[in-house]
Amino acid sequence: MKTFTIILFVFMCAAQWLVPGKMIFDSEDVVTGGTVFKFKTQPVDPSDPFRGKYITLSFDANRILADSADWQSPGEVYVTFTTDSAGFAKPASISSTAPAAAPYLHTTVLYVDSGDPAPITFNLPFDRFYLEESKASEAEKVYWEAQRDSAQVAYGVVRIGAGNAVLTDVMINGRSIVELVKAMNNSPE
Amino acid sequence: MALPGTHRAAFLFLKNEYLPTPVISTTPATRMSKQILKELPELVRANVISEETAQRIADHYNAQPNPSTNRLLIVFSILGGLLVSMGLVLIVAHNWDELPKGIKLLIGLLPMLIGQAVCGYIVIKNIPSRAWREGCGVFLCFAIALSISIVGQVYNIEGNFGRFLMVWMLLTLPVIYVLRSPATAMLYIVGVTWYACEVGYFSYFSGGAHPWKYWPMLLLILPFCYTEFTLKGVKNNFYYFISWLFTLSIAICLGCFESHNGELLVITYMSLFSAFVILSQMKMFETNRVLTNAFLVVGSLGIMGLLLLLSFDWYWEELDTLSTGGIEFYFALIFTLLAAALLVLLLRSKPIAEVNLKVFAFLVFIALFVLGVGSPGVAQLLVNLVILVFAVYTIRDGATKNHLGILNYGLLMITALIICRFFDTDFSFVVRGLLFIGVGAGFFAANLYMIRKRKQSS
Repeated sequence: MKTFTIILFVFMCAAQWLVPGKMIFDSEDVVTGGTVFKFKTQPVDPSDPFRGKYITLSFDANRILADSADWQSPGEVYVTFTTDSAGFAKPASISSTAPAAAPYLHTTVLYVDSGDPAPITFNLPFDRFYLEESKASEAEKVYWEAQRDSAQVAYGVVRIGAGNAVLTDVMINGRSIVELVKAMNNSPE
Repeated sequence: MALPGTHRAAFLFLKNEYLPTPVISTTPATRMSKQILKELPELVRANVISEETAQRIADHYNAQPNPSTNRLLIVFSILGGLLVSMGLVLIVAHNWDELPKGIKLLIGLLPMLIGQAVCGYIVIKNIPSRAWREGCGVFLCFAIALSISIVGQVYNIEGNFGRFLMVWMLLTLPVIYVLRSPATAMLYIVGVTWYACEVGYFSYFSGGAHPWKYWPMLLLILPFCYTEFTLKGVKNNFYYFISWLFTLSIAICLGCFESHNGELLVITYMSLFSAFVILSQMKMFETNRVLTNAFLVVGSLGIMGLLLLLSFDWYWEELDTLSTGGIEFYFALIFTLLAAALLVLLLRSKPIAEVNLKVFAFLVFIALFVLGVGSPGVAQLLVNLVILVFAVYTIRDGATKNHLGILNYGLLMITALIICRFFDTDFSFVVRGLLFIGVGAGFFAANLYMIRKRKQSS
């Protein structure tokens, strides 16, 4: 009985390290080798009971025109991206099999609109940017101030590898939102 | 005439006029040992035992660990483990963005390493202490959540909360078996229920998704319950808590599997609650107090609650648009077959007269359901009659068992039925008023009768 418990204990420890370990390995792989894309966004400020405060990002580049008969929600898809004239990411192609070369995103279809070709809305699995709890609401304020000035643009910096993506920063007019909040906190009232 | 030694001891024990009524408690040794220690001087004086034997008995009981102290230690150990680990989760959730990524990951993963080290020490040294095992299990459970959360936080990984809960609970499952920790098992059942609710009820984007993994995940706890409680014949507080959580979990999560045929889901629920009542009647799940038998309380309240809901006409009016098929049909079929199989098992081991009448609720409801498809009005009327029969049976059961709680529960059922009919019948105010006065007088008379009966018998 004791031997069985010890074997189970070893498997338990291995599994408990494997999950965060695999998450770290996959994310580091994308952070170091992935291609950088800029996704135009609109942040808001909710919180997660385990991971703390974050800003939720709502991206524009989550729709692509395709033949509606080929897709259904919540099917798995592979999406590739290109950049528009302003340098922001836009979806280039959608397929049910993985493209031969990275970068591409492995994700799910959220819904399929009517029409032919129909707009296919897919999930962009990097919609949270975690911040120190005191900075999250400040960050949202910074964003909304930026919104009043139509010349300012907010975007998320995302690295995409072979299927996975990691959001590395949120920028407002070329400056990191973390730096902007820090500067705002340091400046006299 | 001098009594033989053993008879004299029994006589001396019985003559104590404050002899407590035998209560089966989780710590019989303590109460028993206190009683014996109190009797020792009397037994020595009556020459039943020698002074030396009395001293040896006293030494024996004094050397035993005090179970009430142990119980407190276990409670504080669980509370300590819970508070420390939840505190750590909150501190890490602050997100110390001044710290480098590597340090943040190290801080987030360190509690899991500590928890595993303590767990390994307990396993290798084979430490039997319940307090250590429970505290470590609870701590490790939250340390696992922390380790997944910190990686999600550092790399801004998408927040699919249902998936997070599923992975967390699957990684917690082996902790229960390695440490033999019922407190961790309780957290696991809560977590699995949370997962099912998150996917089935709360998730906006689930698009009618069903938490199928809930069933195997919940069933994976059963081997632990069997080896920890059933096999050992143990019914302690952990057993009561786990059976409460288990029954409530199924009752809450069954609704996640509704898609378009809600009417059929009522059959599933009725079969489930009947199965609970059937289980409560089996020797394996019987307990001494009503409230500690979760199967009986959840099953009985569930049946009566459902029947009261079904006594309104909204359900029966929608039956004509019913379609057989869909996921609800298979659920209704599986749960009804399960309840029927359990009923057969029960009736083989117990005479029908000794069985709680509510074990037949699912069969009665299926008959009413079939009748209701053709004549909804008659079925609705009969539901009222079924409630009345169950209520009268419960009152009689309470009177037979001399249990005021059960008796008043039966009376409450009748009151609830009258209140329900208060809103949808055309009885005059006088008739309704007289009904309420009648039931109120019934409450008074029944309780008075029981109390007098108790006084007479004592």
